[in-house]
Amino acid sequence: MRQWSTGSAIALAVAAAAVSAVIAVALTRNPVQASAGAARTADGKPDFSGIWQALNEANWDLQAHEARSGAVMQEGVYPFAFTKVPAAPVVALGAAAGVPGSVGVVEGDGQIPYNPEAAKIKAENGEHWIDRDPELKCYLPGIPRAMYMPYPFQIVQSANKVHMAFAFTSTARTIHLDEVEGPPDLTYMGHSVGKWDGDTLVVDVTEFNGRSWFDRAGNFHSDALHLTERFTPISKDAIRYEVTIEDPKTFTKPWKISMPLYRRLEPNAQLLEYRCIEFVEEFLYGNLRKNQLVKRWEGDTIIIDVTRKVPPGDKLYEWYRR
Amino acid sequence: MRRRLLQLIGVAAGIAVVIVLLRVAAIPLAGQTPAGGTEAKAGPPPKTPWGDPDLQGIWTNNYETPLQRPAKYANREFFTEEERAELDRQRAEIIGKDGRRERGSEQDVGGAYNAAIFLTHKHMGRRTSLIVDPPDGKLPPFTPEVTKRRQEMREFQLALLQATDVCKNKLPGCDGGKYGPPSPKRAEAPPYYLSTGAAGGGVINRSDNPEDRTLGERCMGATLPDFGGITGFFPQIVQSPGTVSIFYDTGQGQGWQRVIPITSRPHLPSHVRQWWGDSRGRWEGNTLVVDTTNFTPKTDYQGSRENLHLTERWTRVDANTIEYVVIMEDSTTWTRPWTVKQEFHRQSDKANRHYKEPRCHEGNYGMPALLAGARIEERAFAQGRGPDPATMCTAGCGGFAGGFADDGEESNPLAR
Repeated sequence: MRQWSTGSAIALAVAAAAVSAVIAVALTRNPVQASAGAARTADGKPDFSGIWQALNEANWDLQAHEARSGAVMQEGVYPFAFTKVPAAPVVALGAAAGVPGSVGVVEGDGQIPYNPEAAKIKAENGEHWIDRDPELKCYLPGIPRAMYMPYPFQIVQSANKVHMAFAFTSTARTIHLDEVEGPPDLTYMGHSVGKWDGDTLVVDVTEFNGRSWFDRAGNFHSDALHLTERFTPISKDAIRYEVTIEDPKTFTKPWKISMPLYRRLEPNAQLLEYRCIEFVEEFLYGNLRKNQLVKRWEGDTIIIDVTRKVPPGDKLYEWYRR
Repeated sequence: MRRRLLQLIGVAAGIAVVIVLLRVAAIPLAGQTPAGGTEAKAGPPPKTPWGDPDLQGIWTNNYETPLQRPAKYANREFFTEEERAELDRQRAEIIGKDGRRERGSEQDVGGAYNAAIFLTHKHMGRRTSLIVDPPDGKLPPFTPEVTKRRQEMREFQLALLQATDVCKNKLPGCDGGKYGPPSPKRAEAPPYYLSTGAAGGGVINRSDNPEDRTLGERCMGATLPDFGGITGFFPQIVQSPGTVSIFYDTGQGQGWQRVIPITSRPHLPSHVRQWWGDSRGRWEGNTLVVDTTNFTPKTDYQGSRENLHLTERWTRVDANTIEYVVIMEDSTTWTRPWTVKQEFHRQSDKANRHYKEPRCHEGNYGMPALLAGARIEERAFAQGRGPDPATMCTAGCGGFAGGFADDGEESNPLAR
């Protein structure tokens, strides 16, 4: 992923901040009335059980961004950052390989308050996305990223435990509403302890190992990450999901993201497997095969030759070949 | 030096997927009485606030029970207390013995990892076999098609071993094969997908591709059904009205999440296949009945692949115990259905003996080490600096498996 024009990014960020502020107001205006339609458990708490999914571009970049031509880009005809064209890993995928724009999910001024050193790492992460993003390796996605990846997840809510099952790599988290001992080691998915604040489930998440990212733009954190998540019903089919993010090793102050989570309303909605460990073996180990499927390697650097065949009967090509 | 190191890392770490649970999963035998807890008075099976039977909590199987009944105990469903104590004693002795093969041999290197980590056994359970039907406690015979498939897989395994010392020295790993020149099969794909466990093709003596390695080495070892085995087993059950969720903390950091909808909806379309199938649950009195189909042909449970049909019955018989009964059906694999019965024992929620971090894959240095080691061996041979890789054994060579030396007098008393 390459950087794009600073000027347009700032303009977008300002616009996005304005838009997200409006959305935030709309969502919180009358919380009591808003959650009145929420499903309830036997003991009267909001019932979040069901299959949910974020419908936004946060997994591409938490911050506001414009659409761009490819998930991986290279310099095109012009020498400008905003005129880049898709690069080899995705060029054969055409319009399916671009990145959708977004108003962003970071509250306030839309900025992530990195300390200067962390800001440099973030910029490098963005430049080296396909080399560094743990998502591409099918690693455990961490929290909060698992909550807004483009895959459904299921909440199974009981009185003392809330299970969240994620389609991505069939992983899970448990929110403990009762007293438990912590994990034996630091974790990718965190240790989640929840309590009710009225109709809001407030979850304190700690014990991170610092190996997860927030998104494909290279936003990251350290093992000092501390999350405070708030799950509040908007209606029976939508949850307002807010996360306050603290990490003194990475950020100069706490910051916050928020977004709705939507219920998957298909009557036959069901979590299917996305067992990507298998999908990434070529990506991770392809250079070590005896007979490599990818033919061009420089050491363990993969060089992909892209083949795109014109299908027989393609009217556009037949016309200009005349 | 680098080659030697990589070779060692490759062999040891390749088998080594991350172990987080073994320490707590197994109970050291020596000098201990059988694990307490379940013997204490347990209250009646509870209900959830919304009235369903309550299966929630962290569970495990506290006791060791062989899948099939050893011949010695034929026609007996239960051990006597004396037999349990005697088996515990014999197995504790094995742990104390040095199970290593000849130092520096391929068998010694191959077994090093297992010998280092399988340091405890669980106490023997009451049952002589997990299988309660057929009544003889044995797996029913395979269909001719599956017998043929298993033979072809075994021939392929043996072909890849035939030029090694395992066959030259007629070690148990070469049973059914003979010593000979490198087989042309070394360049072929296995005749069937190399799946889980010995019945699924076992290990092959080759590391050309990640797909040559076992599902466990690929960090995809978790399967259904799962009867616990030797590598830790802690299902955590959470329920909501209409759903039962189980996180299986199992298989050396290869755990996975299962969501069972309580529904009469039909299964997924038959062309949609999954590693853990497609589960549909219903309540029958106090019992959760789960019907699971739609398995992928990449799985193999005791010879059964995509046609496996499981009917599980989970019943909380008291506050501390779940009785788990599962019927395995696949008329393309077995000549009749068969049934396993097991007890799960409640673990403390507060102690949280459960680790929801199946991060085998994130730490899988074994896979690249195995592959890189094999490439180094090939280069060394091509340059006249090393032996023909076809004559070397790095998998399926014998050594130490599951806490027992896999040959000789030290072998598992439950397999005798």
